[in-house]
Amino acid sequence: MSKKYGVYICKGCGIGDALDIEAICDVVEEEALPCKTHDFLCSQQGVDFIKKDIEEEGTNTLVIAACSRRVNYNTFKFDGCIVERVNLREGVVWSHPRDAFPMLTEEEKEDENNFDRVQMMAEDYVRMGMARVEKVKLPEPYLLETMSKKILVMGGGITGMSAALDAAAAGYEVTIVEKEDKLGGNALKWRKQLPLQPPYENLIPPMVADKIKAVENNPKIDIYTGNVVARIAGQPGDFTVTFKKPGEKIEFDVPYPLPPEMRVDENGKELEHEALMEKYKEYNEGRRDILTLDPNGEHFGAVILAAGWRPYQPRDDEFPHLGWGASPDVVTNYQFEEMAASGKITRPSDGKEAKSVVFIQSPGAGDDADFPYTGVVTSMVALKQAQYVREDYPDGKAYIFYEHMRTSGLNENFYKAAQQDSGIFMSKGEITEVKKNGNGLAVSAKDTLLGENIGVSADLVVLGTGMLPVTYDDPTVNLAYRQGPGFRDNDLFDKYADSNFICFPYETQRTGIYAAGSVRRALSVEESMEDASGAALKAIQCLESVNRGVAVHPRSGDMTFPDFFFQRCTQCKRCTDECPFGAIDDDEKGTPKPNPTRCRRCGTCMGACPERIINFADYSIDSIGSQVKSIVVPSEDDYDEPPFRILGLVCENDAYPALDILGMHKKSFSADVRLIPVRCLGSVNVIWIKDALSQGMDGVFLLGCKHGDDYQCHFVKGSELASIRMQKIGDALSSLALEEERVAQFEVAIDDYDKIPEIINGFVEQVEELGPNPFKGF
Amino acid sequence: MADKYLVQPDIDFINKVRANGGESLKKCFQCATCSVACPIAPDRKPFPRKEMIAASWGLKDKLLCSPDIWLCHNCGDCSTLCPRGAKPGDVMASLRMMAINEYATPKSVANAVNDRKKLPLLIALPAIVFIVLGLILKMLGINWLNFSPERIHGEIAHAQFFSTWLVDLVFIPLSIWAVAVFALGLKRFIADMHKNAVAEGKTDKETIDVKGFLSALVRVIPQILKHNKFSECSENNDRATPHMMVLFSFIGLLIVTGVFFITLYVFGIHGPYSQLNPIKILANISGIALIIGAALLIRQRMNKPDEVSTYKDWYLLWLVLGLGVTGMLAELTRLADAAFLTYLIYFIHLMLVFHLIAFLPFSKLAHLVYRTVAMAYNEYSGREAKKA
Ligand code: SF4
Ligand code: SF4
Ligand code: SF4
Ligand code: SF4
Repeated sequence: MSKKYGVYICKGCGIGDALDIEAICDVVEEEALPCKTHDFLCSQQGVDFIKKDIEEEGTNTLVIAACSRRVNYNTFKFDGCIVERVNLREGVVWSHPRDAFPMLTEEEKEDENNFDRVQMMAEDYVRMGMARVEKVKLPEPYLLETMSKKILVMGGGITGMSAALDAAAAGYEVTIVEKEDKLGGNALKWRKQLPLQPPYENLIPPMVADKIKAVENNPKIDIYTGNVVARIAGQPGDFTVTFKKPGEKIEFDVPYPLPPEMRVDENGKELEHEALMEKYKEYNEGRRDILTLDPNGEHFGAVILAAGWRPYQPRDDEFPHLGWGASPDVVTNYQFEEMAASGKITRPSDGKEAKSVVFIQSPGAGDDADFPYTGVVTSMVALKQAQYVREDYPDGKAYIFYEHMRTSGLNENFYKAAQQDSGIFMSKGEITEVKKNGNGLAVSAKDTLLGENIGVSADLVVLGTGMLPVTYDDPTVNLAYRQGPGFRDNDLFDKYADSNFICFPYETQRTGIYAAGSVRRALSVEESMEDASGAALKAIQCLESVNRGVAVHPRSGDMTFPDFFFQRCTQCKRCTDECPFGAIDDDEKGTPKPNPTRCRRCGTCMGACPERIINFADYSIDSIGSQVKSIVVPSEDDYDEPPFRILGLVCENDAYPALDILGMHKKSFSADVRLIPVRCLGSVNVIWIKDALSQGMDGVFLLGCKHGDDYQCHFVKGSELASIRMQKIGDALSSLALEEERVAQFEVAIDDYDKIPEIINGFVEQVEELGPNPFKGF
Repeated sequence: MADKYLVQPDIDFINKVRANGGESLKKCFQCATCSVACPIAPDRKPFPRKEMIAASWGLKDKLLCSPDIWLCHNCGDCSTLCPRGAKPGDVMASLRMMAINEYATPKSVANAVNDRKKLPLLIALPAIVFIVLGLILKMLGINWLNFSPERIHGEIAHAQFFSTWLVDLVFIPLSIWAVAVFALGLKRFIADMHKNAVAEGKTDKETIDVKGFLSALVRVIPQILKHNKFSECSENNDRATPHMMVLFSFIGLLIVTGVFFITLYVFGIHGPYSQLNPIKILANISGIALIIGAALLIRQRMNKPDEVSTYKDWYLLWLVLGLGVTGMLAELTRLADAAFLTYLIYFIHLMLVFHLIAFLPFSKLAHLVYRTVAMAYNEYSGREAKKA
């Protein structure tokens, strides 16, 4: 596409009052580009004004200097045009009001040594906008050659069946794979089920049989019982899946990456590539490499992981104070349910009627946490099972001791209804001891609502133990990905298949694989069914994005993707290792093989590549680098006391919106900084920082999301990787005789806008104390 | 581990508390709003939150002997403020009835008094007693029951119909019975109450010393008469005045009965008395106050559909109203010279008095005694009262 440029400056929203627009036009015209101004660019007349140029002049590369790109997005979207939005409103005039940053008076203008910081800022931003559009291209979609729109549902329990039915109802073909010989999962083992609809008061008969029937009668759903997934190879829209019988060993079992201890020699040094490959093959003897596709594999477009849970079975010595292991009459809630489903409740020790049952929700011992891997559902289960005792024996007594009674939403009604039973007794309290007492058990509790230490004689004690996600035991999804078959760093989520349970509940760390149900967290049937719908919709969104060649999430609709210039690749494998989503595999030689539909377009690979050969159509090493270079860095040649110049690379997910909010609140920060939005701090390539410093800028900071165990990074690992790179850059700086303190990274959340001025100004002061960059002016 | 209390929930007890007006008790989620709201609960171990959980756990042993259920005056502030719609005030009332039942012997009488289905039997009982006794005496030649009574100096005298001898032959033993039943009940009640208070840390006293207890009793009686506690409540504040009217008219009528008893048996002076006699004036005022007080209380209960009113509440209120109305009507019809009517009404009046005395230790009216004793005990125990 041959570019025809046009620069448009809006004078509305206070921009025209605060800035010397003519001077800005001069800057544009210096670059020999046409500059036009308008009183209200976002008005119909303003838009028509631009459209006229597009239609009549063939203008197709626009720099619109007005408001933030986060507002009026659709107003300034012109098909087939490259559009750059220069943020003069929130970023310059609103956040640097003239009462705090006064204009130069006519008199002051006389003296060449005076300058107007805000004007300089606006001019730089316009230069940066022009620099960027020169370097970017219009994206073209990545389209798969063959695409499958079938959805694979792993797990034939309530969640899996619900997801399959939902997806089928939306018109998609679905296959359910279930490891047991029949559908139903854990739900087959229950006496009764928690309520599913208002008034949420009464237990209902299990509905699993109805679900099974619905699934079996649905022509859009295929069912593979007695099967598991050996491997899932490929990428969303084009997964090749191999099934096998549970326990079987086949050549398409997924290979595992070498564990860290096998990757090094005796001295702890990382092995050479060839040696590693050798060991890898040895380690995975009998299994085909991930890049070998199973010719008999089946094709799917997306996967719903609804593989569920297994009961938490405490170790024999885990809860001695609760009598676990010492008496057969201390059981888990799962064992109790099985007993209740098969008949009357009795004491396992002697088969006698169990009329007094104590339900313990928290192991206690000084801790008020519930049993591990529990949640709302285990509170609800205790309320359910207490009712079994009352069903079986009119004089039965059920005691529930809890630290937390969790009944979310309208399930409060279920609690209230259970509470009405004269034979159900509940109290907050810590169990101090369960011991044998004749043929029964004696339970002691403290800190109860009765106001004293109490004892209860029980026939049976039931521990409210949790539900372990199947991903606790093994990767389950068995992805043929170079980074490994499971979800990486899943320990952060206690092995639940998750990536961020608040913001992105269904998205796992692997695009195209959506988790639902108790593999994600301990859930009730009702919640699992809701979850199933969520994951089914996500899987559908994935298919309907991949088919158009756009990103699924979180940059939904982004048509760009990383483009590798392989001729210069040194096979360092950094991109493969660092991609947070395992989107890149490498071949035997170590050459990366990108899988664009797995990719989330975060740019972390672009930030990682030392050869700088990974780029996006509209976001590249060169486009940002050129923006950096276009910033004017005044030196002593220009002014006696030149202003400092500091570069800020700002994550566009949270930090940039926070800056806009700050502008809207008319809060200000130093006018000597120049900000460039980046996709993720992970995409920041250190070359930009080096360039900035070597052109005389005095400092560089990164502003992005929180990292660590409670990360808020939208791309999971981006801000963490950035911080590792920043630590390393320190060494490089000291070799240049520059202070490490000239580079810093800060964390903000989207609602931290009020903290940003302090952060930025603090950094500016720190840099000012170090003095100007000695390279200035070279 | 420190001492522990072995809980033994009594499901039957829970069901009874619920059936007796405490149906809402299982709604409680132990927020303690009620204990904060209660204008009467003391700071140390306040009620009724702890009663709510003890009741929903069926801990009969903790509740029926507790003085706290008697300290509550059923003002209803707690019930109005409970965020869960539990009505602790009603639960406390139900517990009090259970306590009266618990301490009254024999149980069969207690059960009959509180059973709606036994009401016809209860109504028939005094009539049978009087008539059968009268007829037996007649056979023995003692004419204390006269179906065609003569007039005295041309005036109707109820004593000509039912001889005062016959009346007192029934009522004196009946009163002794009532006192005995109370005495037996209170003996256990006081001992249990003290044990409970010690166990729950409501008192520092180790034993009950009689002198101290009696002086506490003397201190609380003026409070009771003045209805101090009652007027601290906001919700049922309007109940204080009628309740006071009823209480004072009972006291008035007790004095009247005592004076008449003495004049009759000591001085041998028979009624009817002149309307200008000061005792007669007291009787008339008390009678009117009783009717007005009882009527107001009935109306207030009827206007409060939110508050649970049980058979026992109604039994007592209608009995009191009936006593007042029949008493006054008997007098008016007598003065109006309507012989048949006045004897009939007098007869009904006597039956009601029989109810009052005979069933006093078993009915809700027993609260007069238990509450007084419990308040005296609380005063004695040194558990500080909540400041306003
Ligand atoms: S690092 Fe980000 S941009 Fe690069 S391949 Fe992975 S997901 Fe895509
Ligand atoms: S980071 Fe760059 S040089 Fe290294 S393997 Fe990837 S593309 Fe090649
Ligand atoms: S206010 Fe209601 S819910 Fe709260 S403790 Fe009292 S009775 Fe229970
Ligand atoms: S009814 Fe009144 S006196 Fe009784 S507990 Fe409630 S607030 Fe206290």
